[in-house]
Amino acid sequence: MLKIAAEELKIIAQYIHEISGISLDQSKSYLFETRLGSIAEELGCTSYRALYDKARRDPAKKIERQIIDAISTNETLFFRDTSPFELLKHKIFPDIIDARAPRSPHTKSNIRIWSSASSTGQELYSIAMTLDELLGAQIKNFNFQLLGTDISDNVVKQASYGKYNKFEIERGLSRQTLQKYFTLFGDSWKVKDQLRGMVNFRKFNLMHPFTGLGKFDIIFCRNVAIYFTLEDRKKLFNKIADSLADDGYLIIGSTESLTGICSRFVPKRHLRAIFYQKK
Amino acid sequence: MNNLTILVVDDDPVIRRLLEQRLAKENYSVLLANDGSEAEKILKGSHIDVVLTDLMMPGTISGMEVIDMAKNLNRNIEVILITAHSSIDTAVEAMKKGAVDYLEKPINFTELFLRLEKIATMRAILRSAEDLRQAMDVTETNASGTIQHLELTVRDLQQKIDTIESILRDDATDSDSRIGEALNILLN
Repeated sequence: MLKIAAEELKIIAQYIHEISGISLDQSKSYLFETRLGSIAEELGCTSYRALYDKARRDPAKKIERQIIDAISTNETLFFRDTSPFELLKHKIFPDIIDARAPRSPHTKSNIRIWSSASSTGQELYSIAMTLDELLGAQIKNFNFQLLGTDISDNVVKQASYGKYNKFEIERGLSRQTLQKYFTLFGDSWKVKDQLRGMVNFRKFNLMHPFTGLGKFDIIFCRNVAIYFTLEDRKKLFNKIADSLADDGYLIIGSTESLTGICSRFVPKRHLRAIFYQKK
Repeated sequence: MNNLTILVVDDDPVIRRLLEQRLAKENYSVLLANDGSEAEKILKGSHIDVVLTDLMMPGTISGMEVIDMAKNLNRNIEVILITAHSSIDTAVEAMKKGAVDYLEKPINFTELFLRLEKIATMRAILRSAEDLRQAMDVTETNASGTIQHLELTVRDLQQKIDTIESILRDDATDSDSRIGEALNILLN
């Protein structure tokens, strides 16, 4: 594995921050080496500085995408933590559905849900399954829009394709849920069209302005801000506050906190879960 | 050293003996079956990591069916198929059914041991990933309890501060009673 020199660490760390917002600990050189070493070698670079120069000079930004794919952490599973999904089922969905109930039989209200770091899609599909289980045929009375975004091209592609191997499937899904929403596809499982049709995935960098995204009723922003600097976290949750409906709900990771990061939100507890609403 | 348990399925007693001796010498635990139905009994009754099965066997259960059987009982069992004369078609079919590998007779033991080592390494990696996840889960659950508590405590304190601030700023009341009221909230 190609070794990273001390003076390269700073340049590479700054570059990664610039393209992804991810703030890597410069004291952990192995993080850079294990994640970027093979890209450097594959491109015939003999140093990380050479990789950096090559990435900078690449007009198609292909190397930049490769670096983002390698550096981002895609750890996720179906129904991760379970409590946010219990919260959706028992509190948030009933409240939102009540608040957005159509005023006449000819109109449909939009209910927009955003999984802001959707990785390979498990979170958004879990939200869609929760919604489908709860509403059944009633789902058609609303215009649900479920959007998943991620900075990494690879995971957006996988999420869109909706195919999971047996290791991914074994984590978090009951046999019954698996049979209902997935079909066996060779040695893997594929999301059924009905579930796939409920969601959309696209690439999005949370460091960029949120223009064109519109307002959401529910935002999941779990376990992504932990990779950002305090300054970037403040900016991110401020933009999220701007994008959330006044009576909307924000869910962050179970070990995350907004204290000292964004005072526009107030934490609320329901059962064993915490969610945030705007003040 | 090697903690894999291997089931050898072959109707030829010489090959069974040979495999048993060579595998035992490498410290693998070995179980033997002389046909498919005996293999089925063993698979149902014992914990098996790897099945080494002959393709052509007398009786009603072929090597291909042993693959199905093992995989249906437990997806984590790895099957290596052994055949007298290989063909691409058989290999493809076996792989489709979930066989992890394919060996030709006469058995090249170096090759066999390499493949078994690969399986053992893969299992160790999966196991360690599982351990790490569990450790992460425990840490996360503990941390999340603490953080939830702190988050709500900070919220309640902030509300208290806000109330006290508005009381103290309220010019309509005299300052003594404002301070008294504020102290009351603070000490409650």
